[in-house]
Amino acid sequence: MEGPPQMPNPVLSIRSLNVTFVGSGADIPAVRGIDLDVHENEVLGIVGESGSGKSVTALAAAGLLPRTARITGSVLLGGRQVVGATADDLRRMRGQDVGVVFQDPSTTLNPLMPVGDQVTEGEVAHGRLARADAGVRAVDLLREVDIADPDNRARQYPHEFSGGMRQRAVIAMAMAGRPRLIVADEPTTALDVTVQAQVLALLARRQAETGAAVVLITHDLGVVAEVAHRVAVMYGGRIVETGSVRDIFARPRHPYTAALLRSAPRIDVTAGRLDPIPGQPPTPTDLPAGCTFHPRCPLHAGRTRCTTEDPALRPMGPGQAAACHFAEEMGARDPLSPGPSPRGEGRPVAAASLPPPGGRDSERGSPPPLLVVDDLKVHFPIRAGLLRRVVRTVRAVDGVSLSLAPGETLGLVGESGCGKTTTGRAIMGLIRSTGGRILFDGKPVHGLSRKGLRPVRRAMQYVFQDPFSSLNPMLSVGDAIAEPLRIHGLYDAAGGATWIATLLDMVGLSPSVAHRMPREFSGGQKQRIGIARALALKPRLLILDEPVSALDVSIQAQIVNLLQDLQKDLGLAYLFIAHDLSVVKHISDRVAVMYLGRIVEEGPKADLYGRPVHPYTQALLSAVPAVDVDPAAKRRRIVLEGEIPNPSAPPPGCHFHPRCFRADGRCGVEVPAFRPYGDGATRTACHHAGPLTVPLTPAPETLGASP
Amino acid sequence: MIGFVTWRLAQLVPVLLVASALIFFMMYAVPGGPVAALVGENATQEQIAAVTEQFGLNRPVAVQYVDWLLRALTGDLGQSLHSREPVLKLIGERLPATLQLAAVATLIGLLVGVPLALASALSQGSWLDRALSGWSALALGVPTFWVGILLILLFAVELKLLPAASAYVPVWQDPWQMIRNAILPAGTLGLYVSGIFARFLRGSLITEFNADYVRTARSKGLKEGTVVARHVLRNAMLPFVTIVGIMLAGFIGGAVVTEAVFTYPGLGRLVIQAIGSRDYPLVQGCILVILAIYILINLLVDVLYVYIDPRIDYG
Repeated sequence: MEGPPQMPNPVLSIRSLNVTFVGSGADIPAVRGIDLDVHENEVLGIVGESGSGKSVTALAAAGLLPRTARITGSVLLGGRQVVGATADDLRRMRGQDVGVVFQDPSTTLNPLMPVGDQVTEGEVAHGRLARADAGVRAVDLLREVDIADPDNRARQYPHEFSGGMRQRAVIAMAMAGRPRLIVADEPTTALDVTVQAQVLALLARRQAETGAAVVLITHDLGVVAEVAHRVAVMYGGRIVETGSVRDIFARPRHPYTAALLRSAPRIDVTAGRLDPIPGQPPTPTDLPAGCTFHPRCPLHAGRTRCTTEDPALRPMGPGQAAACHFAEEMGARDPLSPGPSPRGEGRPVAAASLPPPGGRDSERGSPPPLLVVDDLKVHFPIRAGLLRRVVRTVRAVDGVSLSLAPGETLGLVGESGCGKTTTGRAIMGLIRSTGGRILFDGKPVHGLSRKGLRPVRRAMQYVFQDPFSSLNPMLSVGDAIAEPLRIHGLYDAAGGATWIATLLDMVGLSPSVAHRMPREFSGGQKQRIGIARALALKPRLLILDEPVSALDVSIQAQIVNLLQDLQKDLGLAYLFIAHDLSVVKHISDRVAVMYLGRIVEEGPKADLYGRPVHPYTQALLSAVPAVDVDPAAKRRRIVLEGEIPNPSAPPPGCHFHPRCFRADGRCGVEVPAFRPYGDGATRTACHHAGPLTVPLTPAPETLGASP
Repeated sequence: MIGFVTWRLAQLVPVLLVASALIFFMMYAVPGGPVAALVGENATQEQIAAVTEQFGLNRPVAVQYVDWLLRALTGDLGQSLHSREPVLKLIGERLPATLQLAAVATLIGLLVGVPLALASALSQGSWLDRALSGWSALALGVPTFWVGILLILLFAVELKLLPAASAYVPVWQDPWQMIRNAILPAGTLGLYVSGIFARFLRGSLITEFNADYVRTARSKGLKEGTVVARHVLRNAMLPFVTIVGIMLAGFIGGAVVTEAVFTYPGLGRLVIQAIGSRDYPLVQGCILVILAIYILINLLVDVLYVYIDPRIDYG
């Protein structure tokens, strides 16, 4: 993690960069005067929330900004000026001096072109590779990024690749010309956590082999802590703080950095309550005067300097700089246990809002469970051929059992395709189950007709992942919230507009917004509306399907806190479906881990995170990049091989055995039963269940390790 | 793949069956009948009865339909009531003319529409884009018969370069005469369809220009021309192929007005004449053939996708 010695000539040197998008409407200032240097063999992480200007900065470095961008300042790449360069010069630079890895590997490759051709296309275009040699070169490049069977893979199309393999191919493509700078824009955000670990390790290895400079754009503080040497934190189009990873994480000098670190749930720390940043990130078209962070800042406290003068980045110690008039007041305060907040509205006392340790656990069993799912199966037939015969079945959910007490939160975690969303939808009756029993409040609800389901649905509501598409754009907020009441003919009985106003108030929105349309709201506000809609019928159970994964970290914390408050006030039970292990740990009482349609381990939060016994849970937890900058505390990591198999053709026996480090002959034949482990409250499905004793593989090299 | 094509061809049977029954019964629901047209205005009741008897038109409609259907299954679509010639022969005379006109019109539409769409999409928002959009609105909005008449007035009446009435000349017999005869009606239809092509492909191109893989291609340092030709255009063509297929198929029965303006011997005009004289077997035969060709062209388009989109596999 040690930064390399400062070298005289940075690979990338940005000075006073301004990027403004000019269009038909108002000008949008996306980047407002930033300076940064990146040297050979160095990894700079740029962190920020949406709209902070981090991606625009990256695109500017690669000369990839659209024509609508007005750019001033200087971007020197390998000594050559990017700003104002001709289209031809830019073209020669790309792929030669700079390679780019984009976010979503499912859309960054051309679907109509074999992957091999795409990987070598740049080198051929630059005249460094003869077309005749491209085939061989493509195979070599794919082999360098650990793609198995590269000879055949090079001829395949992107849709035949898994997500992780596509991102490997994109890395091969970006590094084909051995560029001196790699720009990686959220390179692992679209990937599952076990695949993210593989891709980060690969990126680190290839970076070390080529000695390239890397600019890594991410919103994930854990990824930065894991792989970067230096960090630049962006807010409102400016760099508000920069420094070494260790300094920034241990001693942030800008209140935004400190607040950002506090608001993210951490997998290695148990906190009672998250500490969100109040308010919303600024919109570039409507930036606050003075310091753009002042409306959300605890240091502002009414001081006029913050509202009139935009602070410049100034040195705060060796290698660290912050743009805050009152950065000294941040002192040496530990960001993770902040002192009294100047505005007196700091975080609520953590311990008081926590149930007594083990309290829920010891109570469990006494009240009858609200929801019991027993051996739930959801199979989807795949039809093909002349007569549309069923040729295969996708066992999306294959024997899931769980129970949920009133007022309890059960976290359901797993990677993509594990069946967690299908489980939630089947419980809600949105998808018909193939087998098993679902009991709500002691009464069976599986196989009920639409009409029979209606009274059950009143007590059971669903909150969807994407707040942007789950609200009808043509309905006002008030009508959207009232819709479930009207469907059930309860609008007047529930109190009509008064109840709607109460609901809006409960989710922290002003009742006066009821007549406004969804497009006027931000993502976090839309999710509040979605929650209000789910609460309209006074349900007893909420199924929350990735409710915060589309939101920025600071907003995520607001919604998580809201959910916890509502649970306490209304006695709601939550089935919290998510892929983010830190958020799940924070909000859940118990956690169930799914893999390919089955639950592999389920238990109280403290046991599951502290002493996992299933190898998949162990690998999953070790793969989460943690905000943990002390190298001594660096956890050993299990990097799983391969990716999640296709759910339509799962491996026989234990579905996990081909990737498992404990598997033996029995695992490939016999499906392990889901049964209690030891005498604790944990249940698991593994022939070789047991705590992790010896770290299996050393932690992978971090980016920038000397070659 | 073979299974898919067989399956789709098998689907033709119920479609044609239902369509034939619908057409048959609908024709009888329309006032007027073939007899009046056949016997003339001054016919006596006896003459009418005799003709009615002769063609079996006095039987119940359902019986007539079953009778027609059974013979149709053996490949006999009956005789025209009017000309007494086999329906299949009459259709066979007109079908090549219609196919050739549709093909040439679609070709002209592509030759005009694709460059327009490219120019528009590449200069998105500029005055050129707006002018081209206006042009395609014009091409779509102005009625084809009016364009046809203007073209005749200009090229045939004023300049005397081209014939006013377009005959069907097979391209393999005399390409030059074929072009002279087809250019006006095909141009009329082609200009119209070029508006649709340009508008649709422009939208498709603009969507693809903003796709992530295009940004990836640029980040590799490809020339913009290569990015457009190799990445953008190929992807934008995917949905476009369906539109081209639909328009081409639509011309088989839908070029009636243009055929009438240019007195072109196409299938559309044959249907109109047959309907006018209540020539039931001919109407029935024409519509079924038009329908079958429409479905076949769309099947051909679906099959084409296997070759242009690697993600499609009909198993």
